[in-house]
Amino acid sequence: MERRAWLRQMLGYAVLAALSSLPFGIGRLLVTSRQEQRHAQKLRLPGAPKDKRKFAAACIGCGLCAQVCPPKAIVFSKSDDGAWQQLPYIDPQQTGCILCGKCMEVCPTEALTVTPLRKIDMGRAKITRNVCYPWVDRGICGACVSICPLGDSAIGFKQGNIYRPYVKAGCVGCGLCVEVCPHPYKPIRIIEREVTGVKNGATNAG
Amino acid sequence: MTVIPLQKKLNYLRWVALATVFSMLLLIPFLYLYQTFVAAHAYDYLSSYEKLVYKFGEFVSSPFTSDPKEALDALKGTTWIGRLFGLDLADPLAAVANTAASKRFYWPLWTMALIPIGLTLVFGRFFCGWLCPATFIYELNDNMGAWLRKLGVPVSRRRLNRSMKYFVLAVGIAWSVLMGVTVFSWIYPPLLIGRELNYAITLGGFGAGMVFFVLTLLFDLLVARRGFCRYLCPGGALYSLLGHFRLLRVQRKAEICNDCAKCNAVCQFGLSPLTDRFTQECNNCTACIQVCPTDALSFALRIQDQPYQGPGHLGRHYARHRHDGEVPEDGKTAQLAASTGSGRI
Repeated sequence: MERRAWLRQMLGYAVLAALSSLPFGIGRLLVTSRQEQRHAQKLRLPGAPKDKRKFAAACIGCGLCAQVCPPKAIVFSKSDDGAWQQLPYIDPQQTGCILCGKCMEVCPTEALTVTPLRKIDMGRAKITRNVCYPWVDRGICGACVSICPLGDSAIGFKQGNIYRPYVKAGCVGCGLCVEVCPHPYKPIRIIEREVTGVKNGATNAG
Repeated sequence: MTVIPLQKKLNYLRWVALATVFSMLLLIPFLYLYQTFVAAHAYDYLSSYEKLVYKFGEFVSSPFTSDPKEALDALKGTTWIGRLFGLDLADPLAAVANTAASKRFYWPLWTMALIPIGLTLVFGRFFCGWLCPATFIYELNDNMGAWLRKLGVPVSRRRLNRSMKYFVLAVGIAWSVLMGVTVFSWIYPPLLIGRELNYAITLGGFGAGMVFFVLTLLFDLLVARRGFCRYLCPGGALYSLLGHFRLLRVQRKAEICNDCAKCNAVCQFGLSPLTDRFTQECNNCTACIQVCPTDALSFALRIQDQPYQGPGHLGRHYARHRHDGEVPEDGKTAQLAASTGSGRI
């Protein structure tokens, strides 16, 4: 009966091995159509402090912000980012923020504070003019201008060339324009505000 | 009978509570998905799987609300931070960790933690036994460990030092202060369960937390029985400290105890009800009350454990060492012995 005991033991080990691979299997089954981008651009959430250290100190990783976000824009650094893993971010190339403010209201900590719509600072859109279709005379577009939730104060058309978009000072960097931009290389993207030093009104940089 | 029969059933009730909490953690992300689909007005563009989720959400929420997009916000979160029908609740460990990491006392979070702290002061470590979604998995894992043992796999049941978890709590708080990050959000199993289920269902795929959780499962299986909860869990450490002078605790009646030691064997936390050592670690799970053949264990309102009462009066040890006249064999005890000796187990 030695052999039977040995077989039963091996069965036990097989069960152990099968169970330890269970999470991976479930994970694969539950993967939705959204593809994770390895080099996703990570925007801070609306209402978050500019200093990422301050945000990481206040955030307790509960995930409530993602559970109330209507367009499913808020995602997490699930296994990368080292000590800052589990922090939420918005990847505008996948889904932009619609500035509904639900995440700011639900956050139980100081990580997100309720901020008026035009005071939100997630960054600022920047258009690369030698790629954008209307700016290189490859047709007409205007997708970014028509989607912008802040309207005329944030983005508009250059006078005289009505389909050439440029970013104004009111832009809060929600990233909806990045999401809808039809160009494969996304000539519009979100950058930090200080980098360009936006003055009032139009600038050449945008 | 001295014991209310209801107390014998509490262990089943506990399993119902654990299963309910766990299924809520599964349900809430699906309801969130349903909310996003409703908000997008895009039923026709959903995939067949997403249509199933939509119909499920409609089926669950339609009896209660006609406005799922807004009304379902009343049911959010995990056991770490949750909103239960409009009532915001927070884990006491969340409040402690947030205060340590941000080095500021943020009172809204502490108000959310007030009800759990109050309940812990009265019921002790009840969260660990009755609500924790990780306990649900750990207990199933423990049952599987017993089964594996039968098959011949050497499942280890080592005993380690219980004060390790207080060390983990202290080190976690110190790291939170030094690094400025909530360290407990990487290692606290109930939080990991809630968050990883949410990731898997709404965003697709598990995160790094699930790897850690599987490691704790293997630790329980291969090193110590319920080892993480007993020896390492920082939340368990905090609740143990808060529940040191808890009001409601399981106590032994030595007069009707027969020293069978089933309570010691069934206790997953490795405590010793037979020698009246429940200590602050007891999570009031009532498994010992259920298993006791003479109903000698029951809940009592005390703020401290009774000191050791000696061997049970119905056991052999007591009869052998009893001196005449010291503890008289009164009629009541004999009657109890007759009534409980037969018909149970």
